[in-house]
Amino acid sequence: MSHKNIPLPERQRLRQKMIKKHNLANILTHWFNVASWLLLLSTGIAIISSPRLGITPIWWQEMFRNLFGSDANLIRFHYTIGFLWIFVILFNVLIGFRKYFVPFASHRMLLDKDDIDWMMIKPLQMLGFRKDKELPPQDAYNAGQKIYSYFVVLCTIGIMITGPVMVFKSLFPPIVKQIAQPIHFICVFVIVAWLFIHVYMGAIFPEEKEAFFSMFSGKVSAWYARAHHEKWYNQMLKEEMEWQDNVEKEVLESTHLEKTSGAD
Amino acid sequence: MATKNHYAFVIDVARCIDCRACLVACSVENNVPMDHTRIWVYDQGLQGTWPDLSRAFVPYNCMHCDNPPCTEVCVSGATYKDATSGLVLVDQEACIGCGYCVAACPYGARYIDQSRGVVDKCTACVQRLEVGLQPACVATCVGKSRLFGDLNDPTSEASLALKNAMSVTRLDYEGNGMDADPNIFYLNLPDTSSIKASDTFGQVPQSTLPRPSQYTLSEAGWKKVAIPLVAVAMGATFLAQAIFFTKQLIEGEKDFED
Repeated sequence: MSHKNIPLPERQRLRQKMIKKHNLANILTHWFNVASWLLLLSTGIAIISSPRLGITPIWWQEMFRNLFGSDANLIRFHYTIGFLWIFVILFNVLIGFRKYFVPFASHRMLLDKDDIDWMMIKPLQMLGFRKDKELPPQDAYNAGQKIYSYFVVLCTIGIMITGPVMVFKSLFPPIVKQIAQPIHFICVFVIVAWLFIHVYMGAIFPEEKEAFFSMFSGKVSAWYARAHHEKWYNQMLKEEMEWQDNVEKEVLESTHLEKTSGAD
Repeated sequence: MATKNHYAFVIDVARCIDCRACLVACSVENNVPMDHTRIWVYDQGLQGTWPDLSRAFVPYNCMHCDNPPCTEVCVSGATYKDATSGLVLVDQEACIGCGYCVAACPYGARYIDQSRGVVDKCTACVQRLEVGLQPACVATCVGKSRLFGDLNDPTSEASLALKNAMSVTRLDYEGNGMDADPNIFYLNLPDTSSIKASDTFGQVPQSTLPRPSQYTLSEAGWKKVAIPLVAVAMGATFLAQAIFFTKQLIEGEKDFED
């Protein structure tokens, strides 16, 4: 099913038609997450001041220490925002578990055979090989996004566990607090490494423009959905048709009832 | 690191009688938990054969090094060398008690206070220095074994004692590309290799000689494994998006429907 040989009027119709891709809850959670990450990453990097590790430039450390007044205040700010972030994210996941998270995770996170094939082809295509090869149809999220989501979920759990270990310092033996620090660091920066790609693809890469705006409006055009997420698009079509059938059936039944009641 | 003041302990070993009044004074002044001590006294034990016997007691605490190995490893910056006094201090609000610095200190001068989850050590009683008093251990020392003062001030007690000293020993630690330059100057210290601990709480090191700085497995792994891994990962992804971005800039934007 290539999207390349569709007549113009049909294309125009598809470009006009909008399909809902994201729930408002997920959009808000996403942008809350972005805001938290900006605050947490900047302050977190500023905390790491060990000269032996040599991670953070001195001016960055000093800027944040001057901003907050001391090491302790900087750390307090960091973990306060951190706890807020943990609370909101967990709240949204657990409270919205059945309504948002389970459909999200079950339909949008699991890899299938098409995704594996896609992973074999897409990176090569990005490097300029195998241009002739047709990409297998994708679900609401393509295989790259799905793999990213696995990393994010695992690392987020890692961050949420190791952070509080360092905050509630009197409850844990030193060895645990020692291990928690590099784990926290690795989890954060694995996500940050992926973030370069994530942000580029989302905000800068021209083909994915619709995906970027869908993180505000929640909607993508049917044309985009069809081209990028065919499986999901077909699913939506099927649901729409079922809905139409149901409506027609209801209308038929009600008119039938009216007729029968009118006959009395 | 040149600081405004250069505080140092000058300890005359010949004058110490192992009365441990300094330990008590320190613990009372600084609310040190009962099962720890910030300072201690080594007992050399009897040396030589009768009738030529000798015995030395070596008072010991944080050396407030010029180049402290402990501040090198502190991740949050909780352990720092104070810019004015030159003392090595711990900001216990920022400390999480992980113990990286405890392993790094060549003198074993630090301990973890697990009840509060922080690292604690001799602070040279900054709270007393600020109001013009001597540290508690120095103020209480019966035999005037412990002296304390500012070496930048040539008239201070410590400076004068150093000037008039017969012999000065500094238990310096040089290793791992570091030269600690400790600020306890021992007067009349006998052969240090024989001095072992008389261990009050099972907390103090077994020898007066500095041990090599140690790095905990997680600290070393962080430095040698985690940072390179993360750097490679971030470099790769950054490069990837940079390539595509340049490509996009060169080729111009193509919307997918065109």
